Amino acid sequence: MERTRIKIVGQSGSGLLTAGELISKGLQKLGFHLCADREYPSLIKGGHSCYTINFSETPVKSLSRDADILVAIDKHSLVAYFDTLKKDGVFIHGYEKMTNIPDILKKVEERNIETVNLPSRQIAFENGGTVQMANIILTGMTWKVLGFEFELIERLIKEKFAKKEALLNVALKCLRAAYDGVSVETRLIASLPKEKNETILLDGNHAIALGAIHGGMRFYVTYPMSPSSSILTHVANMSDDTGVVVKQAEDEITAVQMSLGAMFAGTRSMTATSGGGYDLMTESVSLAGIIENPLVIVLAQRPGPGTGLPTWTAQGDLNLAIHSSHGEFPRVVIACSDPSDCFDNVQHAFNFAEKYQVPVILLTEKVVCESKMTLPSFAQNKIKIERGLASNLDSLKQEDRYKITESGLSTRWLPGGCDTTFFANGDEHDERGVLDESEKAGDMYAKRMRKLDLIKANLPKPKVYGPEKDADISFVGWGSSKTVMEDIIAQYGEQDVSVNFLHFEVVWPLEEEALNMFFVQNKNVHLLEGNYGGQFGMKVEALGHMFAGKFLKWNGRPFFIEDVCDYIDNHTKQ
Amino acid sequence: MSPIDKKTLEQLTACAGAYNAYESDQVMTWCGGCGNYSIQNALKRALVLEKIAPKDVLSCFDVGCSGNGSDKIETYTIHGLHGRVLPLAVGAKIANENLHVIAAAGDGATLSEGVNHLIHAVRSDYPILFLHHDNQDYALTTGQASATTPQHCKMNGTPQGVKIDVINPLDLVFSAKPSFVAQTTSADIDHMTDIIREGLNHKGFAFIQILQSCPTYNKMMTDEWLMKNTQRVEELESYDVHNLIEARAFIEKSEKIPLGVLYKNPRKGNFIQTLSHREQYKTTLIEEVKHVNIERFIKKL
Repeated sequence: MERTRIKIVGQSGSGLLTAGELISKGLQKLGFHLCADREYPSLIKGGHSCYTINFSETPVKSLSRDADILVAIDKHSLVAYFDTLKKDGVFIHGYEKMTNIPDILKKVEERNIETVNLPSRQIAFENGGTVQMANIILTGMTWKVLGFEFELIERLIKEKFAKKEALLNVALKCLRAAYDGVSVETRLIASLPKEKNETILLDGNHAIALGAIHGGMRFYVTYPMSPSSSILTHVANMSDDTGVVVKQAEDEITAVQMSLGAMFAGTRSMTATSGGGYDLMTESVSLAGIIENPLVIVLAQRPGPGTGLPTWTAQGDLNLAIHSSHGEFPRVVIACSDPSDCFDNVQHAFNFAEKYQVPVILLTEKVVCESKMTLPSFAQNKIKIERGLASNLDSLKQEDRYKITESGLSTRWLPGGCDTTFFANGDEHDERGVLDESEKAGDMYAKRMRKLDLIKANLPKPKVYGPEKDADISFVGWGSSKTVMEDIIAQYGEQDVSVNFLHFEVVWPLEEEALNMFFVQNKNVHLLEGNYGGQFGMKVEALGHMFAGKFLKWNGRPFFIEDVCDYIDNHTKQ
Repeated sequence: MSPIDKKTLEQLTACAGAYNAYESDQVMTWCGGCGNYSIQNALKRALVLEKIAPKDVLSCFDVGCSGNGSDKIETYTIHGLHGRVLPLAVGAKIANENLHVIAAAGDGATLSEGVNHLIHAVRSDYPILFLHHDNQDYALTTGQASATTPQHCKMNGTPQGVKIDVINPLDLVFSAKPSFVAQTTSADIDHMTDIIREGLNHKGFAFIQILQSCPTYNKMMTDEWLMKNTQRVEELESYDVHNLIEARAFIEKSEKIPLGVLYKNPRKGNFIQTLSHREQYKTTLIEEVKHVNIERFIKKL
């Protein structure tokens, strides 16, 4: 499986997002598989940004550290990212004064890099544009280097600027000048795929928005926080067509309380935030625990503590999701790894929350939220909506709502639904909801906790990727590590080293059977996790398992394919 | 205290059964003479007189002495977190606007812990009824100062007396352009009943400030003091209930504490009415939980 790795670099606000998205869309239309993500600082203008695209004829789900093609929009980013460009690579830029960067020129020479250079500012001015047209010019140059037809990229730009006629005219002239300006003699990197793959292209946040709306979410309430914020954009953009109610609340506490209230009344509602916002929500998570109210919170991880690295990725909030909030109560934590399981898992989250009357935390990571991937179209109506609501509304008694049962689950019905009212009390209570400070209070506590066993007995089995057993090297992980491991397993499948991977989607409570089996059947098991402490690893170790090694990463970057290759090579050499 | 008028008395007597449906069999846990008894009584009277059935009411209680009323009324009831009752109640109302959603909280919850929620609830004009139990202290935590404790009062935790000035809840609410502001007192159950009835019929955020006696920790604001130092605005000749600027000025300059509906603007347009993209929907959000076809969105991907 050969992938082509492109990095487009520039300052934030220089238009590299547009360039990256145009090229991604073009590649998808040509039938390639791709994965693309943007690295950027937490500001609107300035600072270095990088849009990485990895594409191939076969599925590609992970990102690369290195580049075969480096597209630089400005000098500063060019210098910052130049070393990601590999030997024999192509260096595309629009910078006129190359004599100012002698070090770069030397490296170009040493690494046998081909430079494709046009004076981007001059082209922009000649065609009635400003320096802001550099991204379009570089898009045209890149498209030509890749060897693809002009008409497709022209059509995509027409779609993109359909409502801005004057800008479109300039953009098309610049695109043409750039495309024609690049000699056909350059190294053509890609050939068209033999089979044209029909895919959709989107990121995890967009998939969560679609999955939630498809799964019956009627009220979305949130307070913006990177990297969860674009869920708001996507849900709001679909509100006219679907009637979904969207509220940008005054803070995260409001968001979670409104969501809790809406779920209590009986619709499906959701909120999303990142670690800091989730911290504010935790008291409400605890309330949901004691009143046995469904609740769905998307916790989009970025590196902390404090404000941390707002626009970078991490898996550092697993312990937060599992252990946050005062008191003990059952909950479910589900982790997403790509747009496909974002779409499914948000629907499962609602089902878990309503069936078991518990809070559900849906964990994502910046790299999951914002990486765009090609994937087969979503199957609709595949996941049944399960609400766990009573049907015997005529025969209910008040005490049914919090009846102490063997399974721990009591009957749930909705306010206004029948003449039998009930009392949801945030204080410890008896079956009627009334404050109970007697020793019997412990019975209600235990009833709630029993739901954890019920949930555990009904968990989906975690999936093993690659061979079931006797792999030369094995990994255990959750969330985004799946995407890199899928690519690794496909890659190593063609080599002598066998690799497998046990991936957890539901990370709490833990499904222990598959874990035990995996450790019995594989002798060289490593942890792959995006935090310093190996938080998930500790849960596994608590069950008595030993890792042969731990590959942990906490610098804001995702696991790149090269990282894991290097790790495997270092841990499988005889 | 003014005697209940004959017509209301007859109405109430006629619906004694309906009133009893709201009564719970739980033991009262408030101090003798606490304003909470009459507040709950007035609320139940108002609901009965408005012919609202318990099954159509969602009572949302904050934490504190007012929150301890949560098991003393038979409706659908939720007793949530301190300071957070407003967004909780609002979420439920947005989901099912057929419910009569009532939220109750004290001055600690409303003006300290969750003051941000009050500002935005007023601004957003969420269509719920809010009973602000203002007894000028933190009672359930044994008598600490609140944001409405008068300056210089010595309280638990402030032995030198409260040094900083109070927040005037009415002035605060007026600053956020409300659609309904009323003031009443736990000393006058009939007046409270009338005001709550008006609040129940208001289509936006109905803010009802209740000056509540706290015989244990507030020795100044007794029932007798409240009756002597308050005046009903409906008894004034030229009070214009639709003039926000004058109402705001009036609460400052009035010699006696004004009671009654101080301001209302039925035309403001509550939060749910502003959801223009839902004009053609006849259902509530709780009736709409089903698979939505997303084919039209997938096509664009």
